[in-house]
Amino acid sequence: MAPASSHGLMLVLSPFQSVVSWTGERIGHVTSTVQELMTVQEQNKELRAEIEQLRAQNLEASEAVAENQRLRALLGYKESAKQFDLMAARVIGRESATWSSMVVINRGAADGLMNDMAVVTELGLVGHVSEVGLNSSKVQLILDPRSSVGTLVQRPESRVLGIVEGDLNNPTMPRMVNIPKDADVKVDDVIVTSGFGGVYPKGIVVGHVREIKNDEGGLLKYGVLETTVDFQRLEDLAVIVVSREAPPTPLQPAPATE
Amino acid sequence: MKTFGLWALLTAVFYVLQTSLLPIFSYGGISTNFMLLLTVSTAFILGARKGVFMGFAAGLLQDLTTGSYFGCSIFSYMLIGLGCGKFSTHVFKEQFFVPVLTSIVAAAFHYAMMLMFMLLFGYRFDIEAHAGQTLLPMMLYQFLFAYPVHRLVYNFDKRVKRI
Repeated sequence: MAPASSHGLMLVLSPFQSVVSWTGERIGHVTSTVQELMTVQEQNKELRAEIEQLRAQNLEASEAVAENQRLRALLGYKESAKQFDLMAARVIGRESATWSSMVVINRGAADGLMNDMAVVTELGLVGHVSEVGLNSSKVQLILDPRSSVGTLVQRPESRVLGIVEGDLNNPTMPRMVNIPKDADVKVDDVIVTSGFGGVYPKGIVVGHVREIKNDEGGLLKYGVLETTVDFQRLEDLAVIVVSREAPPTPLQPAPATE
Repeated sequence: MKTFGLWALLTAVFYVLQTSLLPIFSYGGISTNFMLLLTVSTAFILGARKGVFMGFAAGLLQDLTTGSYFGCSIFSYMLIGLGCGKFSTHVFKEQFFVPVLTSIVAAAFHYAMMLMFMLLFGYRFDIEAHAGQTLLPMMLYQFLFAYPVHRLVYNFDKRVKRI
């Protein structure tokens, strides 16, 4: 009797149980989904914050790598140019290059800088210190129309002298002027400082000749130079604090003869 | 005194931005001239006397710190400050169109003044080519920044007056 009634009761109740159980499961599923969603939202926030942090770190790392490369190049130049005592400096300000080309560097009289010291990068000549402050200095770039640099053609068979000055017509490309019309200057010739004038030591690369044009007077010509230094991306540079003559190259032992 | 200090601080902040941040976004070495925009906005908001003074201060700051041709920017900015200040009496302070437009004209005027100085100093160059290379990008930069700078100066002035 008992099993029969039990079976009957179960038969009646089981559909309700199924429905309630199914509903319970659904509610449980929805609750867990909501909980998960809330957790996911939190996780999402945390992950976003982490991504932002990693992006910032990545940016800092990229910047550090770029700075490292620049400083390594400058250090390499410092080690190779033994005739100069160099002081590393950083550009902290610059004015738009419409009429003049000047930058401000983070070294001044307190670091031993003086007026008319030459400024270079590992690629070549930048300009000279035109005004020294206590902790900063103004550097007149070779692109400035007021700047004049005594230069010569590096090619041994030429060695023609000229003056490199900034050109208002083309603020990014200075001109090598005062070249006699029959002088041996060719396109792609490398132009280096001549050492005349006492401001710029001899032998620093200024640029190479991109174009040669006749001067208005007819007796002279001038060369349009492409500078080796990219003045638009000038960040780290070096001031030549002391300049000595380049040491002679060591003598090579004569090859042994049998 | 406090007002003066706040305006001096604003000028310094603009100057630092002009010489350190803007060159990164420059085109061929040309970028926005915040000192000029500041002079124009100040003259339109505060009148001729203060416009001339801002022109003097901004020009002095620029000429002294960048090693440019000393006095040229001072003179040019003072004239611009005076002109805009005199004209400001015809313009409502809430009206932004005229100051923004004037900033572009002021850039051209400043360029013409500097051009005149360069010729007086003895530099010879192809004026047409130079203007094509520099004046147009300069005016475009001024146009891009004129409105935000003028609004900022306008709001700054309102806040300073409340202090």
